[in-house]
Amino acid sequence: MPIDFFAKVSVFCFLASYVMALGLDAARLMKRWPVARWIGLVFGLAGFAAQTGYLLIRGRQEHLPPLLSSPHDWLLVLAWIVVLLYLFLTWADRELAVGLFLLPVVLLFVGASYLVSKQPNPLIAGNRGLVMLHASLLVVGIAGVVGGVLLSLMYVIQHRRLKQHHASQPGVLLPSLARLARWNWWAVVVSVPVLTLGLGSGVALGLTSQETGTVLSFSDPIVLGHGVVWVAMMSLFAWLLTTRRSTGKQVAALTLWAGGFLLVILIGLQVLSLTTFHSGAKTSLRTRHFRFEISNLKSQTSNLKFTGGPS
Amino acid sequence: MNLQVVYCNHQSANLSIRERLAFAGDKLEAAYRELASRFRSSEFVVLSTCNRVEVYSAQESPDAAPTRKQIAEFVSEFHRLPLEEFSDELLAETGPDAVRHLFRVASSLDSMVLGEPQIVNQVKEAYRAAQDHNACGPLTHAMFQGAIRVSARVRSETRLAEGRVSIASVAVSDFGRGIFDRFDDKRVLILGAGEMAEETLRYLCEEGVRQVVVVNRSLAGAEKLAAQFASVGARPRSWEALDEELALADMIVSTTGASEPVVDVNRFREARRRSGEKPVFILDLGAPRDFAPAIADLDDNVFLYDIDALEETCDQNRKARYREIEKAQLIIDEEAERFMQDVYHMATGPIVKRLREQWHDVSRDELERLRSKLAHLSPADLDIVERGMERIVNKLLHPPLEALRHEAKSGTPQGLIDALKRLFHLRD
Repeated sequence: MPIDFFAKVSVFCFLASYVMALGLDAARLMKRWPVARWIGLVFGLAGFAAQTGYLLIRGRQEHLPPLLSSPHDWLLVLAWIVVLLYLFLTWADRELAVGLFLLPVVLLFVGASYLVSKQPNPLIAGNRGLVMLHASLLVVGIAGVVGGVLLSLMYVIQHRRLKQHHASQPGVLLPSLARLARWNWWAVVVSVPVLTLGLGSGVALGLTSQETGTVLSFSDPIVLGHGVVWVAMMSLFAWLLTTRRSTGKQVAALTLWAGGFLLVILIGLQVLSLTTFHSGAKTSLRTRHFRFEISNLKSQTSNLKFTGGPS
Repeated sequence: MNLQVVYCNHQSANLSIRERLAFAGDKLEAAYRELASRFRSSEFVVLSTCNRVEVYSAQESPDAAPTRKQIAEFVSEFHRLPLEEFSDELLAETGPDAVRHLFRVASSLDSMVLGEPQIVNQVKEAYRAAQDHNACGPLTHAMFQGAIRVSARVRSETRLAEGRVSIASVAVSDFGRGIFDRFDDKRVLILGAGEMAEETLRYLCEEGVRQVVVVNRSLAGAEKLAAQFASVGARPRSWEALDEELALADMIVSTTGASEPVVDVNRFREARRRSGEKPVFILDLGAPRDFAPAIADLDDNVFLYDIDALEETCDQNRKARYREIEKAQLIIDEEAERFMQDVYHMATGPIVKRLREQWHDVSRDELERLRSKLAHLSPADLDIVERGMERIVNKLLHPPLEALRHEAKSGTPQGLIDALKRLFHLRD
């Protein structure tokens, strides 16, 4: 299928598909309707295809891979990974109520992408390889944290059901507490080091950008925000590895708090950053860099060739 | 055409009658032999389970069909049981009602435990046995294949088979599986040696449990129960080992029948202190309860279920199943009606075939005559003429065939078949 087929795809197209898929998953809570799962899966696949096409088109327009194009595209890549997970799990287990947990997060990311900047990241001009590494590690790490948060949420719900003696609902089953606790542990233990590497590469990026004359301040609210959530996640990570008698519910509760905090900070800062840019009332460091670097970037785009991935 | 079922089940006959009428093991083969010798032109399927004994019969010609009385006499003579001892308990259905009955049985609407899954396998097994004994024919093939299909449809389109309805299955499937991923590495402590403990243990063994310890006030009772489950390594221990076992167990099934709780909060707190906060699943099936209810609040990983909590879930599931009966019955009625239409339509098959052949023969004869008279026509022109004649025949055939199809919806259209035979001189 030629990529131009997706030229008219907008964010709304796949957002609507995911809303439909979520609606169908929610309908299964109220009424047994086996075909709902398949229709939901079709909507999910349609949304996924549209989103993939949209990201490819955006990459072609910006002459950059989606991870680097803009915060808008970066959030969509994050949502794309979560959708991929949703499709795989829905296909693999017909009883698992995974859409009810993953799709709201997808909608959150896709919805937030409306509110963040579509301007290319100015730092790309400095060290493209390092920026790519930084963005990739962050997106994988955050996807892992999202997974941990959702597993924790499932754990809390399943735990509550079992403690209150409620029968499981056919068609929308959750994995056992033992499995959820194990997966959650791995999600945190894998994602936190990846996030750490992501932040480390960000620091390296900041240092090299100063050497090359591109301005990146460590007092940038987004940089600071990432630092704060990293400390929170690192604390959880250290606690997980050192505490010998932690219960699954404690791990779930802490992951929920730390991971939830990370997501709120991450998306909140991205949105706030654009709000100040648009309002013009207060220009942040970051937006000043944007203005400065975009002109540089545009002059360099003719030298960059995008072939569907980082070159 | 005749379809019939003569049967007794858990609603019409008590167990003492049912077990004497059952066709178990070698008896089944002898029964098929006897049926074949008595009713040569009939097809048979015998369904014999602990809850029902049913003899299905079918044949093309209604004249040769065995009556309820004849089947009852066969059963009586076969089992050497006086007819008057079970005659009142023996019911019969014919035609669409017989089909509907089979569909209800296969869909588990007629079962003692509504929606239980074993019956469809028993129906399949009975059908397979009938095939093995060459007792099946086109009608019973269609009936039983239809029943298996309807059962699958009821299962997928309704919630009739959803939710467990026995204490042991609810405990293990709805709650145990929510806590643990697997059971083969879990240590199970059975407290007491009652029937309920035995049933739950049997269910747990099916789930893969491999470490079982039975603790009972009387060691002999523990030894007896443990011996029954020796294949999964069950072993008895004395009552004095209870505290040690409480700390080691991942699952505890308690049915002591003691008048006061056997395990109070302090005793269990001590066990938790030794075991750490690993998840523990407690099924307190005793009445009065064996575990103090406050134990459930000791920590996040204690999951305590008493008989009321489990019975409540069973009740909810049972009610949910009963709510589905109407929906299942609609499916069964629809499928039975469709099945009967197909069967009636099948009966018109030979007459339709003969009518078609006769008219097409006439058309071919006329075509040959035309060929010889109109020799100047090209092959293409002749082809056009041939196709035109075929169309005329098909158009002429359409009204009588449509009338047959329409009439076959409500039964074998015998009057119409006879009329067609006379009108068009169709021979059998």
